[in-house]
Amino acid sequence: MSDPIAPAQGDPSTQAAGPEAWFFCLRLLGGRYAFEAPLVTEVVRVGPLTRLPAAPAFLPGVFTHRGEVLPLLDIGQLVGQAAIPIRASTRAALVHCGPWKVAVVSEAVEGLVALSRRSLEPPPAESSGVAEFLSAVGRDRLGAVAILDLPRLVETARARAVPAGSGHA
Amino acid sequence: MSAETAETTEILLFQVGARLFASVVHDAVRIGSVRDVPAGELVVGTALGMPFARERGIVVASHGDGAERTLVVDHVIGVRPVTEAELHPLPAFAAACLASGAVTGFVIVDEAPVLLVDLPTLVREHPGAAPQRAA
Repeated sequence: MSDPIAPAQGDPSTQAAGPEAWFFCLRLLGGRYAFEAPLVTEVVRVGPLTRLPAAPAFLPGVFTHRGEVLPLLDIGQLVGQAAIPIRASTRAALVHCGPWKVAVVSEAVEGLVALSRRSLEPPPAESSGVAEFLSAVGRDRLGAVAILDLPRLVETARARAVPAGSGHA
Repeated sequence: MSAETAETTEILLFQVGARLFASVVHDAVRIGSVRDVPAGELVVGTALGMPFARERGIVVASHGDGAERTLVVDHVIGVRPVTEAELHPLPAFAAACLASGAVTGFVIVDEAPVLLVDLPTLVREHPGAAPQRAA
């Protein structure tokens, strides 16, 4: 089951701050996180998970969607926080980052948000946890939105996993 | 393509712990009890997990050296044919993240995805695997 990626209402104040860019916003880790909207192809409901042996914690399993097997990425586990609970209603954003196609699990899907690139601020100087993967912080009428560098996050996740053949269970 | 004309592959279904796994049937040389096999020659506790009962053994011919090793499992469910459409490769991201190269994909069994395992790779990855006898 998938949902159309419906635009959320933009903040009129961003129009005065310059041309808008579209981001796709998820709720996770108790906050609002977004990434470049063109990376997202659809929002899917997470089906029954098949857990993988010898998989890192950020890869809780795979599920099938329209006959395709999709890997689920848990950003919470990647950054050393609690796992995002998987329920019948849990949704994930299906994203393409370079060669990788992954489903990013969320606590809730907010959808598209329009932010002015000129209004984006640098991320906090912290280099631990999810802050390591932030590229900017924006703001709309619902509040602050942390912008994730999702391609870097996905590539870092892959690099942190033990590659096949070099480790043992 | 009808079921009669679709090309099929035979898979072996087996259980380790509470989980069901599949392998290509040609990966298994034979199946038997593990009672007569010295404990040091058994492959127990692989990437698939630890078996509960340690009742059955799947004898696997290792790639390269041709030695046989016995993978300990809980139950061997049986052999069944599957069509090409029921076989799915592991997603690229998952394949790149797994510590084991033995999981190669999935086979859909009764509408549920079951992990497809390359048995020779699995026993080769096991650090304690000792050769039983040369082929």
